[in-house]
Amino acid sequence: MMSTELTAVTRGAAATTPRLIEKATNSTASELDTRLLKAIKLAARSNDDEISAAVDALMDQMKKPHSQVRYLTVLVIDELFMRSKLFRTIFVVNFDQFLSLSVGFRKNLPLPPPSTIAANLRSKTIELLEKWNSSFGVHYKQLRLGFDYLKNTLRYNFPNRIESASRLQQEKRERELRTKQILLDKFENLKENISSIKSDIQSTVDEIGQCLEIANVREGNPLDFNVEDNEFEELNSLSLRQIRLESLKEGEKVHENSENKAIFDALRESYRLLISKHLPSVQEWISVLVRVDTTDNKFRDMALKEFIDLRNLILLVNKRCTDCGISLDVIVAPEEDGDLWEEGKVEAYMPDDPISSTSKSEDSFTEPASQRRHDVVPPFDNKSSVSKLLISESVREKLLAVAPVLTWSPFLLDKWGSRNDVLANQRGLEIEGHWGRVDPDAVIPAEKIAEFNVHCTLYKEQPVEIRPCLAPLKKGGLCQRRDLKVCPFHGTIVPRNVDGNPIEQSPLFGVSNGQPSEEVEEKEQEKELSTEVNHIEPKQAEPRESPHSCKKLVEDLAKQAVLNVRQRDTDVKSVKRAKLAQVRKHNEAILREAAIASTSYSEAFADCTKAASLDIGFGVKAKKPTLASMLKKKVTARDRISRRLLSTKADDASSRRFTFGEDSKYREAFPNQW
Amino acid sequence: MWGEVRDREAGKIFPSFFASRVRSRRVAALQLSNCKEIVSPHRGAINTIQVDLTERRYLLAGASDASVAIYDIQHASEHEQNGLIAKHRGLLVVDKQHEYGHKFAISSAIWYPVDTGLFITGSFDHDVKVWDTNTVQAIMDFKMPGKVYSTAMSSIATTHMLVAGGSADVQVRLCDIASGAFTHTLSGHRDGVMSLEWSSSNEFVLMSGGCDGAIRFWDIRRAGCFLVLDQSRSQLGRRPPISESALKKVPVTRTTAGKISARATTSQKRLHPGSGSKNSTIQTKGLNLTGGSTAQRLHPGMSSSLNRATSHYGAVTGLKATADGMYLLSSGSDSRLRLWDVESGCNTLVNFEAMRLQTSKPLQLAVTQDSALVFVPCMASVKAYHVWSGLTFQTFRGHYESVNCCYFNWHDQEMYTGSNDRKILVWSPNLLAVNEMEADDKTADQDNWSD
Repeated sequence: MMSTELTAVTRGAAATTPRLIEKATNSTASELDTRLLKAIKLAARSNDDEISAAVDALMDQMKKPHSQVRYLTVLVIDELFMRSKLFRTIFVVNFDQFLSLSVGFRKNLPLPPPSTIAANLRSKTIELLEKWNSSFGVHYKQLRLGFDYLKNTLRYNFPNRIESASRLQQEKRERELRTKQILLDKFENLKENISSIKSDIQSTVDEIGQCLEIANVREGNPLDFNVEDNEFEELNSLSLRQIRLESLKEGEKVHENSENKAIFDALRESYRLLISKHLPSVQEWISVLVRVDTTDNKFRDMALKEFIDLRNLILLVNKRCTDCGISLDVIVAPEEDGDLWEEGKVEAYMPDDPISSTSKSEDSFTEPASQRRHDVVPPFDNKSSVSKLLISESVREKLLAVAPVLTWSPFLLDKWGSRNDVLANQRGLEIEGHWGRVDPDAVIPAEKIAEFNVHCTLYKEQPVEIRPCLAPLKKGGLCQRRDLKVCPFHGTIVPRNVDGNPIEQSPLFGVSNGQPSEEVEEKEQEKELSTEVNHIEPKQAEPRESPHSCKKLVEDLAKQAVLNVRQRDTDVKSVKRAKLAQVRKHNEAILREAAIASTSYSEAFADCTKAASLDIGFGVKAKKPTLASMLKKKVTARDRISRRLLSTKADDASSRRFTFGEDSKYREAFPNQW
Repeated sequence: MWGEVRDREAGKIFPSFFASRVRSRRVAALQLSNCKEIVSPHRGAINTIQVDLTERRYLLAGASDASVAIYDIQHASEHEQNGLIAKHRGLLVVDKQHEYGHKFAISSAIWYPVDTGLFITGSFDHDVKVWDTNTVQAIMDFKMPGKVYSTAMSSIATTHMLVAGGSADVQVRLCDIASGAFTHTLSGHRDGVMSLEWSSSNEFVLMSGGCDGAIRFWDIRRAGCFLVLDQSRSQLGRRPPISESALKKVPVTRTTAGKISARATTSQKRLHPGSGSKNSTIQTKGLNLTGGSTAQRLHPGMSSSLNRATSHYGAVTGLKATADGMYLLSSGSDSRLRLWDVESGCNTLVNFEAMRLQTSKPLQLAVTQDSALVFVPCMASVKAYHVWSGLTFQTFRGHYESVNCCYFNWHDQEMYTGSNDRKILVWSPNLLAVNEMEADDKTADQDNWSD
C-alpha cells in the first residue's frame, strides 16, 4: 500500500522517463534511437522513482496494439533490465503479462499487426528471455517460470546460444586437458628414458664421426689432376669459371669406390638413422618440453638444454655429411641413375626416324604449296609486326571500327585481298603435270572469283527494345507490360512522361517521334489518299495539302487549337502552383527561424529543436513512414480480385463502415499519428 | 519489530498478540519465493493441494495425470546455486503405473486429519481410495456413482471417521474408513456436487456446494439437509441484528427446518462452544411444535429438499469455512465470492472486488487462521481479499495458466498454489534478513550501469 502510494506521488512529480520512452518507442526504425536511449538510461539511473515510473510506462507501451511499438519497448526493457536491479525486481512481478504481450502465447491475445514485425518481436523476446534467464534466472523465480513455461510447456524454440557456446568451451577445455595429460605422460616417460635416448643418439653420432674419419684417412690425397691449368686464361667466361670451381670442390670430396664401400654403407646407414629417426624425435622432445606444464622445472630446463645441444650436434653432423657428399637423396638415387643412362642411349637412336621423314616430305613439297603458304602467312611477317608496332593505338581503333565483322570460315582468309586469277583446270592435286595436261590459259578471272567469294551471312534480327506501356496503374506505379503496339489493358502505346500521362494527347497527330503513332498516321493517310495522292514518303504527304480531306482538316485544326489552349492553360496553372509552393516554403522557413529565435530555450537547444522539427514540426508534410502506414495493408492483386468478386454480394456501404470503424479505432489508439 | 519483542518480554503486550502481529506482517509480505522450489513430477494440471494437519510438513498434491505426490516442505531434498535455491522433490509419487494407481485425473487429495499415515484421493475414475502412506498402497476403495469432484474429512471429528465424497451424481456419500462401507447417502442436490466442507465447529455438520448453485448444510445424525443458503436472504454486517433475527425467527425456520444456533445470541454461544448441535436439536423440537403448518407434514429433511434456493447463479465451485466455523466463503461459476454467516444462513453482502473465476473445475480457496484474508484462484493469478471489506489485498501473479487450488499454511505463513501449468509454486514472506544475506552472497544480481 505504502509503496503504491509512493509511486503514485512520484509519478506526478518526476516523469521524464515515461515521456522519453514514449518518444523512443514511437518510431518506425528497427533500432532504438541511441540518443533517446541514452537519455532514458541517464534519467532512470538518476532516481529510483524514475525506474518505477519507467516500468509502468513500458508496460503501458507494451499494451499498445502495434507490434512495432512493442518491439521497441522490448528493446528498451532489455537495456534497463540488464542494468538496474530495482527495475528487475519491479518488472518481474508482472512477467507473465509481459510475456503474453511480447510472445503472444495466449490464444485470446495474439500479437497485433504488422505481422512481420510481430514475428520479429516474438523471436527477439525469446532470445532476450534466454539471455535474462541465464544471467539473472537464479535470482528471479518468475524468470525461471516464464522460461520453463515457454520452453517445456509450449515448446518454443530457444536459440540456445549460451548453452551451445558453453558446450563448445567445455569441449575445448576437455581437449586441452587431454593434450596436457598426454604431454605430462610423455614428460614422465622422458624422465625415465632420457639417458638411453641420449646415449642412443650419441652412439650414432660417434659412429658417423668414426666412419667419416676412416674414410678420410683411407682416401689420403684424392686425385690431383685438377692442378692449376695453364689454360686458365681461356676460361674467361664467368660461368665457366664457376663450373670449374665447383668441379674442383667436387674433386676434394671423398669418393666412394670399391675399397671404402663398406664404410660408406655403414656411414649411410647411421646417417639415415640419425636424420630420419633421431632428429625428429629430438625435435619432438623439445616441443614436448616447451609445451608441458609441470612443476618439475629443474629437470625440464636441464632436459631442454640437453636436447637443444643434441639437435645442434645432429645438425652439425648433418652438415659434415652433406659436405662429404653423403645425402639421403644420393643414397636413394644411384641405381636409378644407371638405368636412366641406359635408356637414354636407346632414346638417342630413336629420333632418327621422324627427322628423316620430315626431310623427305620437305623435299616433296611443291612450289604452289609453298607459294600458298606464303600467301597465307604475310601478317606474321617481320615487317608487318614492325608496322604493327608503328601503328598507333588510335589508328588501330579506327580500323577496328571500320572492319567488317565476319563469321569465321576456312576459305575466308585464304583469298583475302588477293586479286589473282585462278587456274581453272585444277583437279585438286598440286603435283604439276602429273595427271595429265594442264592448261595454263584456262583461268577463272579475278572478278569471278570475287563473285564466288562474296561473303554471305544469315540475317540476324537486331534485338529491338520494346518499350513498356508505362500507363499509370491504380495501385501506384506504371504498367511494365511490353507490347509492340497495343497494350491489352491500356490501349495503344503512346509515349508517356514520368507520371505516366501521355505526352501527346491526340492519336491522329502523332508528329512526335513515337513510332506507333507515326504508323497509325500512315495508315490513315493511305486509306484516304489511296488513289489520288502518290505519296512516296509519309512526312512529305502532309494531310493539310490534300484538298479532299479539307473538312477533316478543319476539325483537326480545331481540336489542335483547343488542345493548345488547354495546354497553355495548364502550363500557366502549374507555373502558378510552383510559385505558390515556393512562396509557402519561404514563409515556412522564415517562420521556423523566427520560432527558434524567439523562444527562450532556442539558444540552448538549437540542435535539439532542429532535430525535433525534423521529427514533429514541419516534417509532417514530408510523408515520413509512420506507425500508421505500417499498419496499412498493402493491396495486392489478389485482394483486388477478391474484392471485386465480393462486391457483388456485400454492399459498398457496409464495407466502408467497416473500414471507417477500423480507422477510428486506430485514431483512438494513436491520437497523435494519423 | 525488536521493540515489540522487548514489549513482549516486559509483559506490555500479550504473547498471542505479538505472535499475531508478526504473522500478519509476514502475510502482508507474501511473494513468490525464489529460494523454495517444488519440483513437480506431475504431467498434468495440479488440482488439489493440502498440507498435513499434524506436522504441517508434508504437502499432498493431486494432478490431472492421475498422479499424487507428497513433498516435504520443511526439508529440501537438494540445494542449487550455492544453496540459494532449495529444491523439494516428491517423497513419494503414485501415478498410473502404480499397482493401485488411479486411472484418470485426481480431483482431490486430502490427508487423514489425525496423522500422516493415511491419505485419501478421489478421482474421475469414480473411485475414492484410502492410502497407507508408509507402504504406498491403497488399503480401501470406495466406488462412487460418478466422477469424484471432491472429498472431505472433518478435522475436528472425534466420534466418526467419515470421508464425504461429492461426485457428478446428485448424492453426497459418506464413506466410513472404519468399516469400508458407505454409511450415508445425502440426497437433496439436483446436480453434481463440486465442493464439500465439514464445519470447523461442529463435527456432524457437512456443507456441500452443488452444480445446481445450492449450498446445503447437512447434519449427519439426521435425515436430509437442514439449511439451504439463499443468496437473496441477506444481512448487513458481520452479525445479524438481534431484534431482526428474533422477528424473522418463524419464517426462517419454515423454510429451513432444523437449524443450528441461528437464534442463539453470541453470549450464549460463548458459554456453550461445543454444544451447538444440542441447542439446535432442542430448538428445532420447540420450533416444530410451535411453528409451521404446511412444512410440518413433511419430514423435516424432505421439506428442505424441496427448497430450491440458490446461493450462486451457476455452480458452486468452492467452499471454505473460516477457522472459527462461523462463516463460510463460497465461490461460484458466476465469478462471485460470497461470505455467509453460518449462524443465520444469510449472505453478508460483502462485495468482493471484481474477479474472474474458473467455471468448470472445483476451486480450492484458502483463508487465514484469523479470518482476515481469503485467497482465491482467479484464472492465472491468485488474489487475496480482505474477508470483511472485500477489498483486494494483493494479487499473486506467477502461474501461466489457470490456478486450481491454493493452500495457506498458517503455521509458516506460506502459500502453495497449484495450476494448470503443472507447477506448484511457493509464496513465502519476503524476509529482509534473507535478502541482506543474499546481497552479501552474490555479486551477480547488482546494478550494472555501464553508461
